[in-house]
Amino acid sequence: MRNLIERNRVWLGIALLMAFLIAFPFFATDYWMTLLILIFIFTVYASGWNLFSGLTGYTNFGLAWFIGVSGYVSSLLIADYNFFWLLAWPIGALFTSMISIGVGYILLRIKGVYFAISMVALTEGTRELFGTEYLSPITHGGKGVPFVAGIKLATLYWAILLLAFLALVICYWITSSKFGLRLLAIREDEQAAETLGIHTTRDKITTFVISAFLVGLAGAIHFTYQNYIDPSFAFSIHLTITPIVMTLFGGIGTVFGPVIGATLFTFIHEILWAELTLLYMAFFGGILMALILFFPQGLLGWMKERGILPRIRKI
Amino acid sequence: MTKEPILRIEDVVKKFGEVLALDHCSFDIEAGSITGLIGPNGAGKTTLFNLITGVLQPDQGHIYLRGENITHKKPYEIARKGVGRTYQIIRIFPKMTLLENLIVVGKGRKVMERAVDLLGLVRLSDKKDDYASDLSFGQQKLLSLAQVLMLDAELILLDEPTAGINPTLQNELMALIHQLNGEGKTFIIIEHDMNVIMGHCEKAIALNYGQKIAEGSCSVIQKDERLLEHYFGR
Repeated sequence: MRNLIERNRVWLGIALLMAFLIAFPFFATDYWMTLLILIFIFTVYASGWNLFSGLTGYTNFGLAWFIGVSGYVSSLLIADYNFFWLLAWPIGALFTSMISIGVGYILLRIKGVYFAISMVALTEGTRELFGTEYLSPITHGGKGVPFVAGIKLATLYWAILLLAFLALVICYWITSSKFGLRLLAIREDEQAAETLGIHTTRDKITTFVISAFLVGLAGAIHFTYQNYIDPSFAFSIHLTITPIVMTLFGGIGTVFGPVIGATLFTFIHEILWAELTLLYMAFFGGILMALILFFPQGLLGWMKERGILPRIRKI
Repeated sequence: MTKEPILRIEDVVKKFGEVLALDHCSFDIEAGSITGLIGPNGAGKTTLFNLITGVLQPDQGHIYLRGENITHKKPYEIARKGVGRTYQIIRIFPKMTLLENLIVVGKGRKVMERAVDLLGLVRLSDKKDDYASDLSFGQQKLLSLAQVLMLDAELILLDEPTAGINPTLQNELMALIHQLNGEGKTFIIIEHDMNVIMGHCEKAIALNYGQKIAEGSCSVIQKDERLLEHYFGR
């Protein structure tokens, strides 16, 4: 009975937080809404990265590839073909996840640093390709695509809030499922997993594609929010590294680590930027180094180790 | 009358560069038997396990499981057909709990109940929520065997199951193997401890430099001149 109350208390907390976040645009300024939009976008990026890399142990250094491809497809559909944003976003994400099946099939045969490097190469190659003049009739080349999707800031806020919430539900569900355990087994010892009957290739590709879809959808929203896309930002290494750092910050392989990482990271970033405009990157780097030195498991990992939080996978 | 073999190794050749790890090796394993696979280091015993489980592919020859050719099947397919193995160097999932280590392998319904039962069978119930990395070496070997049982494997390949564990645990492990054998499971055991082979296996196959040099009941093989020469150095 006490357990039931405890559990309900958690759900009640989540419900209250959601109600607050849903009502947020009615009383918040555009600045705060913008800040939260960025937090939600990066929550999805970080959760999507964590879902694949945190669970399987395959470090994806090409997250920006998911973001850029989906961002480009959806932005071009809106800018050049007058697609309604609500339709353009899922098309971008679906397109990215479809190609990810092929990419995963080829690249997920290689492990460790080789997989990481191959994803960097794929992202860099695609960036070059999208910026080249040969493709400029389609991609508009290196000068990028300015566009207006005609979506209100509050609507965009609710859309990305919903996506961040769904991403967390999916991560929670996968982490607490047998599928999630199979992914962990791949991380722990892939060959042993395979000789125990686990179809590792299928499981890896499935997660890779789910990750591509979620991150791609957030990417599409990201560029609609920016009203602009160009190859150097869409495929920038910054879009890969930031969500990885956020995940490490919050706790790799945990459900809520990426959310906590994305939130704290964005706030610290914002405060440092406002207070120490010229030196903020140096301070930021110092904070990151300290975190990695003293909390290598991330905040949630550290709390689980210390017994502040239960050592269960559902958190 | 001989029973239908559960496993048939037919003229299998495996090379690593210039090294011939298995040299036209052939034998049958009867269903429900316990067979010892013996031979000096580098004889090709573990390579043979890797070939049977699909971790490696033979350069020549075929492997049949209950008459079905499984030669180029993937490891997970072979595992699902009922072949389980343990490794010489233990390969469990260290940062997963004992229960998770078993649940992840299980199929179908009642996975949790079976996992709990199997942990009871290998006497690790009280550690079910510990990480596998927290177990002692011998306990990790037991967990590894429980994983194979969770797979519901009919043919179980054990790579040096008693190496590095204390005599009490060794006896418990061998008793467990006999109990499971009584329930119909077939075992092939790689072992350097000849007492284990002679005391627990009905039959032994000896390999040297990738060639099968002797095969037969333990009492016969003990007196095999070639084996004595190659294996015991006389």
